[in-house]
Amino acid sequence: MTVKQEWAMTPPTVTAIIDGIRVTVPPGTLIIRAAESIGIEIPRFCDHPLLEPAGACRQCLVEIAEPGPDGKLRPYLKPQTSCSMVLTEGMVVRTQVTSKVAERAQRGIMELLLINHPLDCPVCDKGGECPLQNQAMTTGQADSRFTEAKRTFEKPLTLSTEILLDRERCILCQRCTRFSDQISGDPFIELQERGARSQVGAFDPEVLDFDGYAPTGLAAEDESGRPFSSYFSGNTIQICPVGALTSAGYRFRARPFDLVASPSIAGHDSSGSAIAIEHRRGKVLRVLAGNDPEVNEEWITDKDRFAFPWSSLDDRITRPLVRGEDGELREATWPEALARAADGLREAVSGARSKGVGVLPGGRVTLEDAYAYQKFARVVLGTNDVDARSRIAGDEEEAFLGSRVAGSGLGVTFADLEAAPVVALIGFEPEDEGGVVFLRLRKARGRQKVFTFAPFVSRGNAKLDATLVPTVPGLEGAALDSIRRGSGTVGDVFDGLSQEGAVLVVGERLAGVPGGFTAAVALADRTGARLAWIPRRAGERGAVEAGALPGLLPGGSSAQSAEAREGVARVWGVSGLPLAPGRAAYDILGLASSGGLSGLVVGGLTLSDLPKTLANGIAKAPFLVSLEVRLSDVTAHADVVFPVAPSSEKAGTFVNWEGRLRPFTAALQTSALSDHRVLDMLAREMGVTLGTPTVEAVTAELARIPIDDSLRPPPPSASGPSAAEAARRAKATTLATWHALIDQGSLQDGEPFLAGTARVPVARMSPATVAALGIEGRVLKVSGPGRGTISLPLAVTPGMVDGVVWLPMNSPGSTVARTLGVAHGDTVSVKGSES
Amino acid sequence: MTALTPVLSSRWAEPRSWTLETYESGGGYVALAKALKSAPADVIRVVKDSGLRGRGGAGFATAAKWGYLPPDDGGPRYLVVNADESEPGTCKDVPLLMASPHLLLEGLVIAAYATGVRQAFIYLRGEVVHVHRRLLQALDEARAKGYLGRNILGSGLDLEVTLHAGAGAYICGEETALLSSLEGYRGQPRLRPPYPAVSGLYSRPTIINNVETIASLPGILGRGAAWFASMGTRDAKGHAFFSLSGHVNRPGQYEAPFGITLRELIQAAGGMRPGRRLKFWTPGGSSSELLTVKHLDVPLDHESVGAVGSQLGTRGIQVFDDTACVVRAVARWTDFYRHESCGKCTPCREGTFWLTQVLDRIEKGKGTRADLDRLLETCTSIRGRSLCALGDGATMTIVSSLEHFKAEYAAHIDGHGCPFDPRQTALFSSPGAKEADA
Amino acid sequence: MTRADVPFVSNLPRKGAAGRFFAPVAGFGVTMRNIFRRPKTEQYPRQKLPTEPRYHGRHQLNRHPDGLEKCIGCELCAWACPADAIYVEADSNTPEAQYSPGERYGSVYQINYLRCIFCGLCIEACPTRALTMTNDYELQGPTREGLIYEKQDLLAPLAPGMLLAPHPMVPGTTDADYYRGDVTQAVRKQIDWVRENRPDDPSLPEVHHG
Repeated sequence: MTVKQEWAMTPPTVTAIIDGIRVTVPPGTLIIRAAESIGIEIPRFCDHPLLEPAGACRQCLVEIAEPGPDGKLRPYLKPQTSCSMVLTEGMVVRTQVTSKVAERAQRGIMELLLINHPLDCPVCDKGGECPLQNQAMTTGQADSRFTEAKRTFEKPLTLSTEILLDRERCILCQRCTRFSDQISGDPFIELQERGARSQVGAFDPEVLDFDGYAPTGLAAEDESGRPFSSYFSGNTIQICPVGALTSAGYRFRARPFDLVASPSIAGHDSSGSAIAIEHRRGKVLRVLAGNDPEVNEEWITDKDRFAFPWSSLDDRITRPLVRGEDGELREATWPEALARAADGLREAVSGARSKGVGVLPGGRVTLEDAYAYQKFARVVLGTNDVDARSRIAGDEEEAFLGSRVAGSGLGVTFADLEAAPVVALIGFEPEDEGGVVFLRLRKARGRQKVFTFAPFVSRGNAKLDATLVPTVPGLEGAALDSIRRGSGTVGDVFDGLSQEGAVLVVGERLAGVPGGFTAAVALADRTGARLAWIPRRAGERGAVEAGALPGLLPGGSSAQSAEAREGVARVWGVSGLPLAPGRAAYDILGLASSGGLSGLVVGGLTLSDLPKTLANGIAKAPFLVSLEVRLSDVTAHADVVFPVAPSSEKAGTFVNWEGRLRPFTAALQTSALSDHRVLDMLAREMGVTLGTPTVEAVTAELARIPIDDSLRPPPPSASGPSAAEAARRAKATTLATWHALIDQGSLQDGEPFLAGTARVPVARMSPATVAALGIEGRVLKVSGPGRGTISLPLAVTPGMVDGVVWLPMNSPGSTVARTLGVAHGDTVSVKGSES
Repeated sequence: MTALTPVLSSRWAEPRSWTLETYESGGGYVALAKALKSAPADVIRVVKDSGLRGRGGAGFATAAKWGYLPPDDGGPRYLVVNADESEPGTCKDVPLLMASPHLLLEGLVIAAYATGVRQAFIYLRGEVVHVHRRLLQALDEARAKGYLGRNILGSGLDLEVTLHAGAGAYICGEETALLSSLEGYRGQPRLRPPYPAVSGLYSRPTIINNVETIASLPGILGRGAAWFASMGTRDAKGHAFFSLSGHVNRPGQYEAPFGITLRELIQAAGGMRPGRRLKFWTPGGSSSELLTVKHLDVPLDHESVGAVGSQLGTRGIQVFDDTACVVRAVARWTDFYRHESCGKCTPCREGTFWLTQVLDRIEKGKGTRADLDRLLETCTSIRGRSLCALGDGATMTIVSSLEHFKAEYAAHIDGHGCPFDPRQTALFSSPGAKEADA
Repeated sequence: MTRADVPFVSNLPRKGAAGRFFAPVAGFGVTMRNIFRRPKTEQYPRQKLPTEPRYHGRHQLNRHPDGLEKCIGCELCAWACPADAIYVEADSNTPEAQYSPGERYGSVYQINYLRCIFCGLCIEACPTRALTMTNDYELQGPTREGLIYEKQDLLAPLAPGMLLAPHPMVPGTTDADYYRGDVTQAVRKQIDWVRENRPDDPSLPEVHHG
């Protein structure tokens, strides 16, 4: 029995010989990877470690002999592709290094690959970083023996506004089509024609030589004019081993050897994807995905990849602005602006008619910036009115974050999410709001069951084969409470979540649902499922850790706990922290709009995300200090504007949703300052040492903040809508809404090519609701309590919860908060129209 | 002298031979009833004893192929009949299906019974619409008579057969490409392993057999393994179709035991065209090496043909007499492969593209001596390097023709043109056509 | 015995008597030999002599016979430059602004003549023969900026039959036709295009009335 135990202790391995070198690898390792592990590089094109083997390019042919049942080595008659064959015990592999046959085979393939390749390296974007170019130089022949006519195609083929395809350069390795099929689930490009006329393409009637095609039904919503509608299409450019796929934005702009690549972290969602910012002479030219197997593997969203021009647009602020006597903003020196801001804030805090100052850092701050904002509020301004959640956010969410999230370190990870047998999503759309979270879930497809508490199965969820738990917006709490042992979907969810490793994912929208977090925590406790909070914005988790929430101190302890305040005050070297309970972002803005505040300090806040009534709070604030990268709706009302650095120009740390620290350094060296540095200077001007001049100073201070689980706020306990309220809602039309990944967000400004790949905004309703409300016409007009109306094409969505209308939150023609002044779960009225 | 052995083709001449009535009157579906009375394992043993080898080209032992199926796990397993006959020179399945479709259906039920299959597919070449119609009719007849469907002949066996028409791609005759096509995807070969027997159609265990293989089963089960094994050679037993085409007087399907020679077949086909001599021929369609007059007496079985450097393949024997230009013939075949290459793997896609252009140039008299080396080099780059056998097949006639007829290539190059008159090669031409025209 | 004790002995061959006699004036030999020959001095800048034909002078960015630029902005010259004297940025040709045949053109092209060592490696690197060297050696100026030559300073003057870029390619041609030399001059359609879009363009041929 000991033998068996020993076997169980050591992981099984396979030992074989490659080019005379003994190699031991785990079973199931492909020959090409085993060779890599001992430093033998077999040339390849179609092989990609994250895609299934295709064996299409045949460049990686090697000679193989395998022991037969009698133990004698039996050579394979033909060379085999090392990218598709698994190394087995006792195998003897001879690569091009030792085998003439393999070398001849590879040379032959290289020659054949090049006969139809245009060899236009001088004009090709990939020239200089091209696997085909490199391998042609190392293993190819110097002279071409091909004197015949090459096949030609018209170039380029526009797959989407962002992605262009040069079919002449394509070597048909199928990496892009396999990525679209296997990874992103958007198989909108596929091989067409055959033989030497084979080509990658979208459903293009001109290529396929027929006419009369137009997408119909559901397909028409997304496809019309957007043949390659995918949020992840940019990854195909990066994995293309030739220059066949290029992006409209980067096309012909630079050469790889011009570019300086600075590793960084993407700031467009809470995943903290590793990226490389590639720049030339102080200008970012492109962003590539970094390789971080624990987080984003090798993929990023198109938003992470293409949405970078926003920080170098003409409206970039480079010098402080001060509002003059004439009411106009004018450029000022730093000392002047700091003095003005200090005077104004001093007056607002301690003046005769002071009503206090609120601080709104915005959701995209780094950990260090968030820390500086909250410390500035608590130490300099003497208030707990600081909230980085520039969205609907209440005390219930704060109690959840304080009791379950803040200071809890690395919780559920990407790997846990992938390994989970069951994942339930509530208030969270993985593709739109999670970015690469979606790709991880999709990677587990077939092994994992996904449930989504939503009014309908979105396209992203459909790609996960998710099961819908029909949920009326605003009544998510009730839907969660209904999950009990039993039959049907409800019972399936319960049983699923009770499995070892199951995860319940909650998103930012649950914050707007009374009783939502209470019910989510209860369900997790009831089933034993792990909870993962995946916010949408990059800075939210960091803000929670830094205490940039009204009721939370850094480290997750409650601002209402005297002991906690004392502990933090001791580290900060101050006599005490403010006692008065702080208010959430929307309440601060509400207060400001009714004249209840004397001043505001505002970071990266976009007013178009807010209902108009709250946005007015910005205009109404008697004294407004804005820390911004670009001129915005906020700076338009500000008394003093300080220019701050975008994440490409500063160092800092994002904390991703896992709780993983994602530090990054400045890719571009500019004179722009981080928010925490500006706040440190402003505090000094006001006579206070904030101690946040550098990232290192903040990190050192954060490390000294005591963490005591006993001082956390109590878990959320709020009740959902009453039965009467629920009944009222059942009769009304309820709004469901969330942000599409690619929409009108201000960080996507200046990239028309990316905007062109956004999904067409539509309004969704179930067929029964359309019939019940007597909706006629192709356009749905949605209005809220205010005057505004949103008119979008109506997409009748079978299987959708009745009585619900869905709109994209902030897409062209559909700015829900600003136009309607309502949010997810509110009641709206609808009517049909022909145009 | 080897006698012809019409078995599958024995009733082709009967009026309305394709109807169930005619088929039954000749003892049709009797073998099925017999097979259903014995255990599936016994059926497999009979097939094994008969020595039946696949008739689709590779000549793999049918019973052994079935044996690769994993044990029944309760899930579905499939039997797919490869009726996508597209090999140039091979024309056996189409007339067989036209004349006696029930032979296939009876064999299909027997094979399904033996292998535990409840759903079978017939993947038919899409161009032969008439065969499609005839098979549909035969399926209807068989279903109506209880030979297909639920509880066949009271044995408890259920079998559904789905007829699928291909969309005109030679590559879909390759079994994994056929499966992809059948699943609704692009017809491209898949990586092996996994082999279809383990993970084939819809990732389930799948057997793929040629029409002629399946159609041979009723005979074997009806008349016994010994009868079948009495025909043919030691390793290649039984009867098989030999499709003769080209410059013989009576081209057509000749059903004969393995081991018959081309000399005998040509004799059976009424000899060569008057006044003409055999120049070269293909034993197994265009995907086999050319043979010449020297090989007239090679026994036509897998091993003997293999021994002379070619392959028996699908026994599509194309006969060319001395009016034929080998360069022209090879150029046409190569163009076929260029047109039919699926484009998935590099050597086949790019190689056939190149070979076609070089051959075309040589045929037009614009080639150089260096082109001959280039042809051989490129063939070396393709053969054994491609994903499936299509690439290999494309090189076979080129390499073998260069071996046997290098002088003729040289004549094209040195003479700056083709020394042959294509009008004389045409089957409708009379021997004196050239003179008459002049 | 120390080093200093050894007397100095020259190892040069000792001269004969005549040699010793003329030694004091031997140094004038060269002067005497040349005093009656024609002087080699060039009277620059009053007199400018032609250089050797393959002299490495100022660069020139050439044009195709219809006036489109040959430079495709590939940056191979910049890459080859050992002195880092060349800076190039490329961009996409558009139907509205076609500068070179094909998809890509050089939108920014600078050579810093304070850095350039006139080695000619850039010329060898150029895949389209866009960059060549002239015999112009008069490169001087009072400012550093002035010695960074921009694209307009380097572009070859228009020869007869050429039209100032941007303008469309000759209809029905591809960039391959340009490289094969099949395009020999600007055609009617190109002239019409320029006339419509830039009526005052100096490179337009004069309109013949009547």
